Parts: sequence; C-alpha cells; structure tokens
Amino acid sequence: MSPRYLFVTLLCCGLLISCGKRAGEKDPMSETAVVALSGDADNLNPVVSNSSASQDIQGNVYPTMFDVSFNMREGKLEFEPSLVSSVEYSNNGKDVILRIRPDVYWEDGILVTPLDIKFSFELYGDPEVASPRRSYLESMMQTNGEFDVEKSIEILDDTTMVFHFQRRYPLQLFHLNLAPIPRHIYRNADRKTLRANPANERALGAGPFKLEEWVRQQNIILARNVNSNLPYPAKLERVIFRIISEPTTRLTELKKGTVDVMRPVYPEDVSDIQENNPDIKLVTLPPRNYEYIGWTNIDQVEYHKSGKKTVRPHPLFGDRRVRQALTYAIDRKGILEDQLGPYGELAVTDFSPVFRWAIQHDLIPFPYDPERARQLLRSAGWSDSNGDGILDKGGRDFAFTLHYNVGNKRREYAATVVQENLKQLGIKVDLQSVEPVVFYQKIEDKQYDAFIAGFSVGLAIDPADRWGDIDSPFNTVAFQNQRVTELLKLGLHVATERDASPFWKEMQQILHQEQPCTFMYWVKDIVGVNRRLKRTNINILGVTDHMWDWTIGDPKSAVTY
Amino acid sequence: MFRYILRRVLSAVPLLFGLLTITFFIIRLAPGDPVSLYVQGDVDPRYAENLRNALGLSDPLPVQYVKWLKGTLSGELGMSFSKHAEVTRILAQTLPNTLLLTFFALLFNFIIGIVLGIVTALKRGSAVDHTVNVTSLFVYSMPEFWLGLMLILGVSLHLGLLPASGMHSPMAKYMAMPSYVWDVAKHMVLPVFVLGVASAAATGRYMRGSLLEVINQDYIRTARAKGLSEVLVIGKHAMRNAIIPIITLLGLSLPFLLGGAVIVETVFSWPGMGKLTIDAVFARDYPLIIGCTLVSGVMVIVGNLLADVLYVLVDPRIRYE
Repeated sequence: MSPRYLFVTLLCCGLLISCGKRAGEKDPMSETAVVALSGDADNLNPVVSNSSASQDIQGNVYPTMFDVSFNMREGKLEFEPSLVSSVEYSNNGKDVILRIRPDVYWEDGILVTPLDIKFSFELYGDPEVASPRRSYLESMMQTNGEFDVEKSIEILDDTTMVFHFQRRYPLQLFHLNLAPIPRHIYRNADRKTLRANPANERALGAGPFKLEEWVRQQNIILARNVNSNLPYPAKLERVIFRIISEPTTRLTELKKGTVDVMRPVYPEDVSDIQENNPDIKLVTLPPRNYEYIGWTNIDQVEYHKSGKKTVRPHPLFGDRRVRQALTYAIDRKGILEDQLGPYGELAVTDFSPVFRWAIQHDLIPFPYDPERARQLLRSAGWSDSNGDGILDKGGRDFAFTLHYNVGNKRREYAATVVQENLKQLGIKVDLQSVEPVVFYQKIEDKQYDAFIAGFSVGLAIDPADRWGDIDSPFNTVAFQNQRVTELLKLGLHVATERDASPFWKEMQQILHQEQPCTFMYWVKDIVGVNRRLKRTNINILGVTDHMWDWTIGDPKSAVTY
Repeated sequence: MFRYILRRVLSAVPLLFGLLTITFFIIRLAPGDPVSLYVQGDVDPRYAENLRNALGLSDPLPVQYVKWLKGTLSGELGMSFSKHAEVTRILAQTLPNTLLLTFFALLFNFIIGIVLGIVTALKRGSAVDHTVNVTSLFVYSMPEFWLGLMLILGVSLHLGLLPASGMHSPMAKYMAMPSYVWDVAKHMVLPVFVLGVASAAATGRYMRGSLLEVINQDYIRTARAKGLSEVLVIGKHAMRNAIIPIITLLGLSLPFLLGGAVIVETVFSWPGMGKLTIDAVFARDYPLIIGCTLVSGVMVIVGNLLADVLYVLVDPRIRYE
C-alpha cells in the first residue's frame, strides 16, 4: 500500500472512530429536550418581540411578575407570586401595591429591583419603542393620551412599588404581568431602534433557564440557570428549540424521535401517529382560535370613497336577515367533521368556550337549514324575479366573490362547500384565493365583500378590539351596534370578572342574533409529545408553560442524530 | 486577463445598482404591508402606526429611496423588519450555508453529469444508454419539493439512514472537529442530492451530445489509429473539446441552483439564503429582500465570470485582452 493510500485509510478510520461516543463521556443530549418551532424568533426582548417563538422562550428566561395559570374549571387566569411576592389594593382598587422579592438576581449577578420594572414599563409605554404590548398600559395614568410613567409608577422603597390605575378592572394583574428587562443593559439604548439592539440576541434574564446560544434560522438553546430562584433552576439541563418550517419535515422529526415536542399536528395525521407511533402522546389544547366567514356589514366602497364618513348598509350583507340566512345555508357541521373531526367545535360567537364563567350557555349554534335560509332571504326581499337561477333585488343579483388566503387548505375546502351550499339557494359565489400578506391587509382595510379568515382570542376577555370601533383593524366586517358598544364599556369597567359576566352574556346574545359574520368553528390545536418527556404541562397558556419542571423519563432514551 | 476581470467587475457595479433600484420599487409597489403581519391577535392597533413610523415606512417613496441610497452607498443595508437585526449581519451568517450547499450541489452536478454523459456516449444505443436517458428525463422532470419530501420519508424516517433536516445536530458545537464535519456531511447528503440531481441529469445529456460530436471527428480517429489507449483518447483528446459547452453550463447553473435552493432549503430546514429570501418575501421585509437580491445578483455575476475565466483555461483559442 502506498503511503498516500495509507494516509487516507487512517484518516477515514479516525473519522469513523471519532464519530462514536467516548467511554465515560456524558451524552450532551441525555438531559436535553428538543422542541420544534415553525418559525424563528424575531428577537428575545419581551418589550418589542412579536413572534410566537419569542413568547415560548421569554417566559422561561426572563423574570415574570406572576406565575400565571389558567383554571380550566372556571375559565379564569390565576396569578401566584413570582417576582412579585404579594399584592395589595388601595384607593378602591385603583392603586396596586406590589412587594418585589429582594433576592432575585439577573444572570450577571446584579439584583433585580423596582427600578428595572419601572424602566421596563416606561419602554413598554413609549410610542417611539412601538411595543406590541403598549395597550396593556392604557388604563394606567395618562398625560395627553400617552402613558405617563411618573404618574403611574411610584417606587416606595427597595422592594415596594405602587401602580396607579385610572380605575379598578378585572385585567389589572394581567396587564401588570409584563416581563421586566435589565435596566443596566438597556439604560442607554436608542429607543427608536430598540428592536435591533444587539443585546436582544443575548437575552439576559433571571428565570429558570438562560440563553446558551441562538443561531438564526437554526436553533435556540436554553440551558439550566443554576442560580435561578424563580422558582428554581430548570430540571432539564437544556432545551433546544429547532426551527423547522416545513410541516412534513417537522412531523418526520417527531416520528423519528429527534424532536420531543411539536405543534401543530394536523388532524389528518392523528390516526397514523396513534397506530404507528405509540411513543408519541397527542395533547389537544382548548380552543383559542376560531374561523369565520366575514360579511362586510357596511357598503365599504361608499365608506372609502367618502373618506370614512358615509356609513350605509352593505347592499348584500347589510340586512341582519340575510346574514342569518347565510349562516343557516352553510353546512358548517359538515365542514367541521370533514376537516377537524373531534379537534374542533361549532362556534356560536367569538367568546371562547374556555371562558366558562362568561358563556351564555342557552345559545345553540344555527343548524344547517336551507329552507329557513330561503324564508329569511324572501323576507329580506331577495327572489329570482328574472328566472335566471340567481336571486335578485332591485335589479342587483345576489352575487359576490369570497376571498381566502392561498395555501390554507381548510379554508379552501370550506370555500368550495360555501359556494356549493349557496348555489342551492340561488346565490352566485366566485372564489378567489389571495397571497396571505395581501389578504390580511385587504381585510384589515375592509376591501372585500366576503372572506374566510380566523382570529385568535386572548387569555382574558376583551372584545373591544373586535366590536368596539368600526375602524379597528380587527373589526374586519365593520359591525356596529349601539348596545354592544355600551356593553363593552360596562363589561370592561367593572371591578371583577364576576360583575362583567351579565354584560358579556348579553353581548353574545346580540352577536348571535346579528350574525356580524358567520362564526364557523373553534379549532383545537394538537401537540405531539414524545413520552420520554415527563411532567410536561402543555395547556392553553402554551407548549412551554412551566418548562422548568420538564424531566426526561428514561435518560437512556436520549435523542440521537 | 486581469484587466478583463477588472473590467467585468466594474461593469457589474451599475448592473447591480440597477437591479437593486428596480427591486426597491417593485417590492414597494407590490401589494401587502409589512406591518399588517404584526397586527393580529391581541396587538394594539396603534402599534401598526407606531411601527410604520419606527421602520420609516410613513415617508414618501422618494424620501425612502434617498434614505436607502445613502445607506447602501455607505455599506449599510438597513435593519430587517422581521428579524430585527442588521441585514448585513444576517447575510453574513446565512450566505456561507448556501455557498456550502451550492458548492457541493455543483460538484455533484458536474461529477455525476460528466460521468453519466461519458458512459452513455461511449455505450451509445446500449441498454445502459437507454436506461440512463429515461432515468435522467424522469429525474429532471421531478419537482424538487416532492423528491425532497419522499427522500425524507424514505431514507430518513423509514430507513433511518440520514437526518431529516437542519444543517447539523443541535449539540454539534460540543463535537470534536472530525465528528462535526461528519455530522454536517450527513445532514448535507439529501439536500445536495435533491439540489444537484436534476442539474446532473441535464449536464449528462449535454455531455453525451457534446462527446458524441467530438468522438466522430477525424483527430480522434487519428489518435486511435496512432494506437493510443481508449482512456487517453477520451480523457485527453476528446474531453478537452467536449467539456467546453459544459463550462458554459457552469455559469448558467448558478441561478438555477439558487432558485432550487429556495425550495430545498425550505424542505430540509437548511438555514441558507433560499429560505431567508422566502421568509423575507412573505414578511414583506424590504431591506432583507434587497439584501438577498444583492447576494443573488453577485453570485450570478461571479458564476458567469468564473465560466468566462474557465474558458481560457480549457480552450486555448480564447484569449481575453
């Protein structure tokens, strides 16, 4: 054998040998869980981050004011001490006195103080920063319509601070639960460019995990923060978040066991997993997202032409009877069963069924009843007067285009069923799929007559963003109702959730009757979890809620690549 | 030669500038608002307006262009809307990953393509020739995303031979260098194969045609008549001329590979320029789209330049002055 071949052979042998684990060396994956994310984090600063990946990470890295849980039996958020050790109310509940723990330290050893909290709230409320959570501070003290940090937050001593609100209301603690960031890191940061501050990529927290590494588009690695006392260092040594955008690839990694947690698993994949992957547990989350068919309630062409001054009913959908007829005419249950099966439920209104205390249980979803739909349309003056098979009124055919975002198979399927269902009644529907960014912009601008979209509700009831103002980007159908506006004010200005309950129930009755849109169904997300992972608490708050308690059942079953 | 390269590089500058200016206006004239992506769920509606101001999107288009121009001329490509970081830094992190993938895909493309071309040309009309031709057509017409997904399901999930996605194992940084190289190599096999296989099929067809044309010429007959071995006849005499059209393909392959990388990187979660571009386009991340366009433009120009330089090396008739 020539020396050259000998060298190559030895090199190959060396490579192969080095691939194996060395005796006695601890496998870095033995106490490590892997979570698949569909997208990367935008940044890791809770003041300006906006991606769901960021939320998953931040809750485990930054100190949280409260340890939040969701009581499913009652449908309410509950707040336990965390960085805040106790809460007192004074001045009729308008002042909230928080005691801050004196023994919590940032990762770099500097004490977390009320100054950090006040500084962080100042950033959350600064218009230049443009925090997505700025609205949380709207009920604190304002000057010229803007959050006033000096009037709102008072530091009494090293561990006591007072938050001044304009009024007492049910969401006070929810709005106080904004994660603080270290003042000593961000004190001199330019606020206009805060979202691009390099410190955002080196998240410095005080939670049970610390950021070990973030390689964009690849992975985010969290390691146990051994010094944490919020509540204690994570039980796992590491959690790796891998960014895998392609759903089939993500599912493959879960099935292979190279990923421990993955969402969403699609309903069509469930039976395959149940049959062939006994080591994967499927967890169904309570519904927070619903889909709806938006019927624009006002004549949006006239509205835009007049510079948002003329508000007159939409020629097709302005009449409540027509909107009711459309809901009766669409076989929502059929679509639900075909697309989601047990992983969805018919929606009555946009109040999630998880808020049990606020739900008007007497309301039942509109059934699929084409005959009733015909009657309602007749009573609204729609008939086929010229015998062309299409309903008409005052010389206008009942014809419109239904838009949906391209790539969403469930909505595409629903659109074809809607087209077919309405054809039976003499309504002509053209379908148009639209590129997602354009689609969302157009529905936000109220450019379409009809569309299929979805909405994700918050963890606390606050319908103001949907039904409060005709110009709100979330009031996509431009619905307005005087009583609903009154109920919103009443419901959001009471002292406790219990007091708000009758107002929310009345609002649901109105929404049910008015059918501002056809509420289709609530979607229950499915999460796939490898059974080797123990003590997971995957719930409505998210996949990574209380991630510090996760353990690996059998250390031998480490993820291997 | 050096002056020629310099001239080509300098002439590429206005070309790139034009490309970026057109991209700047096209993406802004295209429907879709970068901010609307963030205005969902329980986000404050006022946030959209604040964000628009913060990102400089409220300015009139000419003002935005002048600001962009100033930034670009001073070497700053701005801040990515969606990734919240300097575009130059994101590109610096991402570009090497795509270069790695593209380099090996090119290598795969040419090695396999040339070998297949030689074999089918020499075995013209045989069963091997027909089989390779039919297979090449089949592979060439196969969509990359479908092939990628099938390989992930077959090779990775069912056979468990190779990783399904990513560029390396998550804990690769704790590995010794040889293990790390081996780990990256394993992760690269499937994406390189999917990215390179269709081009290899095409290269094989070109090579076959080119070689068949050459081996029927008189000087090859002369070489054989001199008693040279077949290896020398093909390898030294025929290939020297037959390879020239393949060099042209090198310049043309780069844009195709970059286009293919968009799909392959998405399917295999390869953290490269293709996936970055897709994400940027869907997020209407204007600065990042322009950054990606710049990189693609430069790569295409470099690819073409490389092909021109290689011509000189393989074809003594060509001289650039």
